[in-house]
Parts: sequence; C-alpha cells; structure tokens
Amino acid sequence: MRLLAVDTAKARKHNSEEKTKVIPTTKAALEELLRQRRLAPEAPPLRGERRLRPLSTGHAELDARLGGGLPRGRLSEAFGPASSGRTGLALAVLARVTGTGGLAAWVDPCDRLDPASAAAAGVHLDRLLWLRGATEAARAAPDATRAVAILLGSGLFDLVVLDLAAAASRELRLLPSTTWVRLQRNIESADAALLLLAAEHVAKGPGGVSLAFSPQGPRFEGRGAGRLLVSLRAEVRPGPLALRGAALELPATPWNEPRRHGGHGETGA
Amino acid sequence: MINFGGVHSPEALPAPDTLVQVSRAFTPRVEAAAPTPVLLDLAGLGRAWPTPEALGQALLAAARERARAANVALAATRIAALVLARGREGLTVVPPGAEARAMAPMPLQLLDVAPGEAELLARFGLRTIGELQALPERGLAARLGESGPRLVRLARGEDPRPLVPSPPPESFEIVLDLEWPVLGLEPFAFLLQRVLDPLAESLRARGRLAAALEVELLLIDGRVQRRALRPAAPSALPRTWRTLLLLDLEAHPPGEAIRKIVVRAEPTPSRVTQFSLLDPAQPSPERLAHTLARLHEFTAAGRGGSLALLDSHRPGAFALRTFAPGPARPSPLDAAPPPRLALKAFRPPLEAEVALEDGAPVFVASAGIRGAVLDRAGPWRASGDWWDAAWSREEWDVALGSGLYRIFRDRLRGEWFVEGELD
Repeated sequence: MRLLAVDTAKARKHNSEEKTKVIPTTKAALEELLRQRRLAPEAPPLRGERRLRPLSTGHAELDARLGGGLPRGRLSEAFGPASSGRTGLALAVLARVTGTGGLAAWVDPCDRLDPASAAAAGVHLDRLLWLRGATEAARAAPDATRAVAILLGSGLFDLVVLDLAAAASRELRLLPSTTWVRLQRNIESADAALLLLAAEHVAKGPGGVSLAFSPQGPRFEGRGAGRLLVSLRAEVRPGPLALRGAALELPATPWNEPRRHGGHGETGA
Repeated sequence: MINFGGVHSPEALPAPDTLVQVSRAFTPRVEAAAPTPVLLDLAGLGRAWPTPEALGQALLAAARERARAANVALAATRIAALVLARGREGLTVVPPGAEARAMAPMPLQLLDVAPGEAELLARFGLRTIGELQALPERGLAARLGESGPRLVRLARGEDPRPLVPSPPPESFEIVLDLEWPVLGLEPFAFLLQRVLDPLAESLRARGRLAAALEVELLLIDGRVQRRALRPAAPSALPRTWRTLLLLDLEAHPPGEAIRKIVVRAEPTPSRVTQFSLLDPAQPSPERLAHTLARLHEFTAAGRGGSLALLDSHRPGAFALRTFAPGPARPSPLDAAPPPRLALKAFRPPLEAEVALEDGAPVFVASAGIRGAVLDRAGPWRASGDWWDAAWSREEWDVALGSGLYRIFRDRLRGEWFVEGELD
C-alpha cells in the first residue's frame, strides 16, 4: 500500500508538469478547430449522446453538402421525375452499406428493382432483403409502409429504401396523413436511415434531408450503330429551397462490359 | 442365474423399434443393434416376477401383442439368450449351466460369426452348434488362430461381453389435453407458454435447438389443424417460438375452439459460432426469424427474400431465396463504385408501338409512355436458350421527352416492348 501511495503522488506531480506544457498547444489547437468550425464533429460524444455516422452516397460533393451523407435515425427523401437518377443514387448508398457488412432492405411495392443493376452498382445481394409488392394489389402502398415499420422496428437494418417512385399519386394521397410521422417516430430510436424514393415531394421527417432531382438529359456519343449512351446528367438540390444543387453524372454500363449478368450479347448491327 | 432375455420376431415388424418399445416396458437396459433380435438385462426383475417362467410368459405375451410370431428366450449368458430366441419358437427358459446343451441342436448360422469364419466352418463340414462344441480347442486354435477357442466358447454359451444399452430415442413432444376448450388466440398464447417452456427446457438439457416446430391442434369439431414452422435459424427460446406460432396462427386461425395441443420439435445440435471482435456484429438469428415471420405477407407468398443472379444470358434471370445473410466480409468504403445508371424494370415488359425510320426507332407509344425519340443508342442484339425456350431480342436505349427508356424488339415474335426506365 505504501509503495502504491508513493507512486500515485509521483504520477500526480508528473501529470501537473505535463499539463503546463500541453495546455498552450491544446488551446491553440482548439481555437484553430473553432475557427474552422470543425470542433463539433471532432469532439468525443457527451454522455448519453447518440452520434451516428451518416451513410455516404458515394458522390463527394453531395456528401459534403449533406454533412457526410444520409442521416441515420431520420426519414429522408429523394424525389424527382422519371430518369433523374434517384434509383442510381439509392443503389450507390445501398452498395456502401452492404459493402461494409451492414444489412439493407428495399421495399418495392411496384416491383421495379432490377437485380442486374443492383449487382452492377456493387450491392452485396446476400445482404439485401427485397420485398416485392404484387403489381395488381390495390393496397400496395399501405402494405409497404407497414413492412417498413416492421423493418425499422427490428433494429437489424442500416438502411431501408421505400421505392414509391412508380406509385400513383392518387394512391399516395390515400395514405393516412399520420403515415410519415409514424415512420419518423419508428426510426428515431433506430440506427437505420430510411430513404423514400418518390416522383414528387411526399414527406420529410425533421432532421432528414430532401433531395430534389432534376434531370439534365442523357449524354450520347458516337455515330450510327456505334452510338452509345454514356451517362445521365442530373442536378440534386439538398432541399426544395436550396439555391444551388450538386451536379450528378451517372455513367451507363460501359459498352465493353456485359449488359447482363452471365455473358455478352451479339454485336450491334 | 438368469440374467439375459432375448426377444426375436422372424416376421416383419410393424415398425423398426417395435420390439425395443416392448422391451423398454420391462427394463430400460435394452441392447438392439438391429430391429430384431433385442437383448434385455433382466437383473432385478425377480421382485416383480417370482419365477423366470412368469417373467418369460409376460414378456412373450407383450411381444406377441405387437408381433404375432415373437419368440422369447431367457438364459444366463447373452449369446445363449440371443441364439435360442432366434432358434426356438415360443418361450425358452434355460437353467444356468445348461446353455451348451440347449444350444447344441441349433444351426451354426445363429452364432453370427464373421463371414470368413462361417465359410471356413462350413468347409470343415460343421452344421450345428453342437458339432462345433465337440471340436478340441487346441486343434481349432492351430487351424484358426486365436478366434478358434473364442468360437468354441461362444458355441458353449460362454459370452463374457457385457450388455451395452442402446440410448433411448430422443423425443421432443409435449401434449396438453385441455379440460375446457379454448377459443381465441389470447388464452391460447397463455397455454402455449405452458407447452413451450418444458419443451425448450428438455431441448436445452440435451444441448439441442429446435430446427422446426410442428403443432397439431385438435379442434372441438374433431378436425386437426397442423402447422409447421421452420425459421431462418434454429432456436430453443420459448419466447421466439411463441411469437412465431402466434404470428402464424394469426394468419391461419383455427376457426373453432381448441381441445388438445401437441407440439413436436425437430432437434438439431446447438449452434457453435465464434464471433470476431473486428467484424461487424451479426444479426441475431432469433430477431431475424421474428422479423421475417412478421413480414409473412411477403415471405410466404415468395415475394420477399435475398436476390441471387442466375448464371444465364436470359435478361432478368434471378432467383429469390430465403434471407439468411452469412458472415459479413466488409470491403473498404471506397471499393464501391460511384453512383451509376440503373434500370427500373417493368414486370412484365410493357407492350409498345414503335415507329421506325431506317431501322431505328423514331416514335414510341406504350401505356403511360409516349413520345418522339430525341436520341438513341443501339441496337444490342442478344439471344439464347435455342435448345429450350428460345429468346432473341434487339435492345435500344431511347431518350424521350418524358425520360430515358430501354426498349426491345422480340425478334421471334416481331413485337416491341418497353423493358424499363433508366434512372
């Protein structure tokens, strides 16, 4: 016991000496971090504080505008007209989530997911749960929102995508007005992110992001039979009121890669 | 002292374990390498049956209730009991010391010697056990080696091998006969707990999990409702099984009051998994099974699961499998490609009217999609499965005012379709 007391006293003296040396440097570093507005993300979490890493979209500019990506524990939305890049971006987030060992779910009431596109986007298919709606079912959207609530409540999934992009707007209007509030309440206690794909602005939870997609047209190159679809350009505004958007260019499957899994087709005419 | 009993049926048995079940009613120490004959350890049974004959008669009567031609033999050694049960009809009780005399007229095949030895003994001209008993041990040892004296001792009924009891079959079944029929899931859930708790306890005691659960509900109108559950992962947690069963019965209600509950578990060895400190945590199999059961509207109809691409050139070739993610193999975050164009498929593809100019589409009209082609790429031709259900198509990527679409012409039927929207 005596030896321990001596050692403790020595350590305390040593620490106080260290502190006098370290404080000026630390203070300068803190002031520098404050000037760069980088203090909050770098600081350790406070007791009881849940700080969850956002889910990267794979697009550097968009990630920077969103503060790292899609926030977890929030309902986010990606909406826009046909061929505006919503699905391509959602699959890119999915690829990152499943690639880092997480689980994801794609709730697809209109049965529109293309497995080959998901594989080409880098999604680990064995870690993706796909729930397909029956196209003719009248209650596709209510069933899908109920499935999303179950998935969020399970706490197993890092990302749940609800694809309502092809749902008729009349059907979406028939959903109870509390649907999105209820889903937001479900997700608040979870570590997952919920991404809603839609043709128009449907819902946005507090703290979530609304990505407004505007198509800027496809880019074709070449002439005649050798003409190729190179990419699709779009602008993504983080929020309908954002003045400036991020330019997004989604490359098409290169001509020398198989357009389908398993092999090449014949050459073009 | 008579220590061993043999029970044998020369006729086919109604079930492989018929004689074992009969024998277990007398003693738990039963050895049965095959359905017949069965060897019993009779030690200690003298208190219930004062004479060996009384015990033998009781055993014979019980055996003949299940197998009409059953024979019983009681002897002081195991080989004598087995040989005489197979060789003599009805009940045979051999007084101690008289085994050799009783076995002497029996054919040699009943000794169950190795095939090579049996052939050799047949070449010596031996037919009965008594002829083998009469041979000198020394002469037989000179010809057969160490197995010679062993065969002679067996023929005399001397068998020092102990009885090795066969383990009782594992049965995980609980039956609950209800005094009053129950109607509705709420009281049933309470009763289910009383059935599943002891079942889980017996599984755990033997280091087993239940891979599947079979439930039989005898209803008040005499019908039997059978439900079988096989979740993604085996479990011995009564709470998990109770939730899964209730979810299943919610989807398939019995309709009438329940009079009797029978729950049967299919045992499987416990899961042994070494988790890694560095890899992401794996989802709890129980929670995954719960979640998939709650999503039964999708999973039961084959509309929910994990995707698997098939090794086929046919467009849209994929299979939907049970969602059971294996161990994660995380890759660096930057390993995933940047966002790229994806197809949103129409299932089935939309029929379309396409106007052509110089063989290239210039106008597309389909359900909800209509417009002049502003730009296009193609054609991409593909075909396959000519040996089976042949397909052949010509694909185009076309830009309309309303979006970017993939259309194709079925070259076998000459019809156009919109396969999907590029998004």
